[in-house]
Amino acid sequence: MSASNPNRSPGSPAVALLLGWFLPGAGHIYLGKLKTGLIAFVVIEALYALGLYFSGGMLLEYLPPEMRGPYAGMLTPEVGNLGALLVQISHYGYGIGHPRPYPPLMDLGTTLTAVSGVLNLVVLSSAHLGARRAEPCLGPGPSPSVAVGASLILPGLGQFLQGRRGRGILIAVLLVSLFTVGCCMGDGANLDRERHFYYWAGQFMLGLPAVVTEFAFGHPRLSFEIIYADGGVVLGCVAGMLNVLVMLDAFHYAEHGPEAGSDPSAASPETHERGGGQAA
Amino acid sequence: MRDLGVHALLFLFSGSVIVIIGTLFSETDDARAKAILPRRLLRFFLGSLLVLGVMLICEHTLAAV
Repeated sequence: MSASNPNRSPGSPAVALLLGWFLPGAGHIYLGKLKTGLIAFVVIEALYALGLYFSGGMLLEYLPPEMRGPYAGMLTPEVGNLGALLVQISHYGYGIGHPRPYPPLMDLGTTLTAVSGVLNLVVLSSAHLGARRAEPCLGPGPSPSVAVGASLILPGLGQFLQGRRGRGILIAVLLVSLFTVGCCMGDGANLDRERHFYYWAGQFMLGLPAVVTEFAFGHPRLSFEIIYADGGVVLGCVAGMLNVLVMLDAFHYAEHGPEAGSDPSAASPETHERGGGQAA
Repeated sequence: MRDLGVHALLFLFSGSVIVIIGTLFSETDDARAKAILPRRLLRFFLGSLLVLGVMLICEHTLAAV
């Protein structure tokens, strides 16, 4: 009763993934889903273009000179929209060679480009799934990509929408608490992308809680030493990276349903017996 | 060492979050996840104590300043 690998595949998952990575929506267009592809293209590229407009293309100027290597942009959320990031790198690079003031809406701009990249990752997951699976998914609730997107907006929301409410609430409480502890330790300085370029990328994966907190408290003027700043940065980043596991859990459950464990070797009769009784 | 209790509490909290999320990721079934969680937590913290012991021994022998 293998649900994946159907005999009739609409296209190659790898090709759909690569196309969509370089050009948002191209993976869906390759699979024949023209409307979805065009909508994805317009929304994701518009977000990136708006972000570029607000930030003046100065994102990589956040990096100190010693970190400005050829692959420095590859650990940013923007890498999810690789084509746009490459265009930005080739067009703006690391700026004019000496420090200059950032535009007034720099933070909003760099957040929009990051959102564009992460949103394209969600679209890519949809394209990959569409290429390898012609049959409907087995899990309750929203489609796998929507579940991932929901968990990206708020940790645990994807699980909550799938009917696994206890799990979703537990995840939200744990991750938001960990992030809050990190912010308290770092006195909000951990949220500044200019100060912590790569750690910011990690905590950005926590979604809305990280973005909202950053705009509310993330740019303090520091006139004192923050004793636990490093610990705060690490905890905030760990919370965001753990949310990646949460998103993968939501995706897997939405695709395979309650009867399949994440680890195939761990599947047991007990697990299968519980198949129908997972809903809230 | 300054604020040893705070450090220990922070480690307990962050370690617990990591282990719990890891368990939820590896086990889709809530009942099974709940069943295996105590053993995983115990293993994690016993392992951490072991590492702490080794570090203390090294600090007072090989790496003593």
